[in-house]
Amino acid sequence: MGDGFHDVEWLARTREAGDVAAWLSLIPYARRIGVSAEADPDGEGLLFRLDPREENVGNVLLPALHGGVVAAFMETAATLDLMLAAREPRLPRIVDLSIDYLRTARVVPTLARCTLLREGRRMGNVQVTAWQEREALPVATARLHFVLGDPSAPRRDGGA
Amino acid sequence: MPPDHTPSTADWRRALARFVAVIPHTRALGLEVLEATPEGVTLRLPWHEDLTGDATRGLVHGGALTMLLDTACGAAVLPALPAPEVCPTLDLRVDHYRPGVAGQAIIAEARVVRVTASVVFTEGTLYQQAGPLARGIGNFVRLGPRNTPPGFAEALFADQESDRESDHG
Repeated sequence: MGDGFHDVEWLARTREAGDVAAWLSLIPYARRIGVSAEADPDGEGLLFRLDPREENVGNVLLPALHGGVVAAFMETAATLDLMLAAREPRLPRIVDLSIDYLRTARVVPTLARCTLLREGRRMGNVQVTAWQEREALPVATARLHFVLGDPSAPRRDGGA
Repeated sequence: MPPDHTPSTADWRRALARFVAVIPHTRALGLEVLEATPEGVTLRLPWHEDLTGDATRGLVHGGALTMLLDTACGAAVLPALPAPEVCPTLDLRVDHYRPGVAGQAIIAEARVVRVTASVVFTEGTLYQQAGPLARGIGNFVRLGPRNTPPGFAEALFADQESDRESDHG
């Protein structure tokens, strides 16, 4: 009972409405680092944004955002994008992530866009690009694998 | 670091405690340094509700685990070098064995596998009570002494009264 990721009806309803904010409300770490999403003005999917918060800084000398915070932003983006873009309501659980840091991420707004490269019966592959001033100069690229769970199935403890 | 003095294990633990306390993100989350030697580091991230990634099921955010692995592997780099250098992350790979559960601290162990003239290769593992959660493989770029700010090593080993102990309030 109750709203949440395990509630198939809630998941289907929020997904139908494109209510990514409802999903973000259940992801405290994404809220802490300041992740938001909006309909992509230049495409069909979502455009993600990371707030340039003081507590997201990882290097005070430059200063620069913490690379791990940028990775967490990109993982959040990939998860939400997959939940929206999948053929049916699925609950993604991360299996692995690989991130390349291309440029220093300054303490300014960071944007990200995702591409669902494969949606299989059990596995999804998402590619993410994050940038700041210009999309042609990404600060990081990442690719992630997710297990696509049936939200109505009882959760099994243990490995992905 | 003073040229006539090889840092002890206690020196390194204090230096890395200062290193993670200077990083605003890890300071805010209260990250602790349990051990630090040239052979590896052990960090402890206390539980905080904000680390949650799935409030419905009480699971840790995978990105918080990536952040911790990046920090732990980056911290392991410093004692493994002849002299501390600024080493940004080149790339990082994280394998998730099982989700972290809310309410428990997370322990991070990281070590340097290989140091070359241009890159430091590291690996790290995260644990909770149930066992290993995730493994990370991080490569860090050596910017070299020329691109390391003057006073970097001195700042790490500065004997400041204010952070003698880990209580930063």
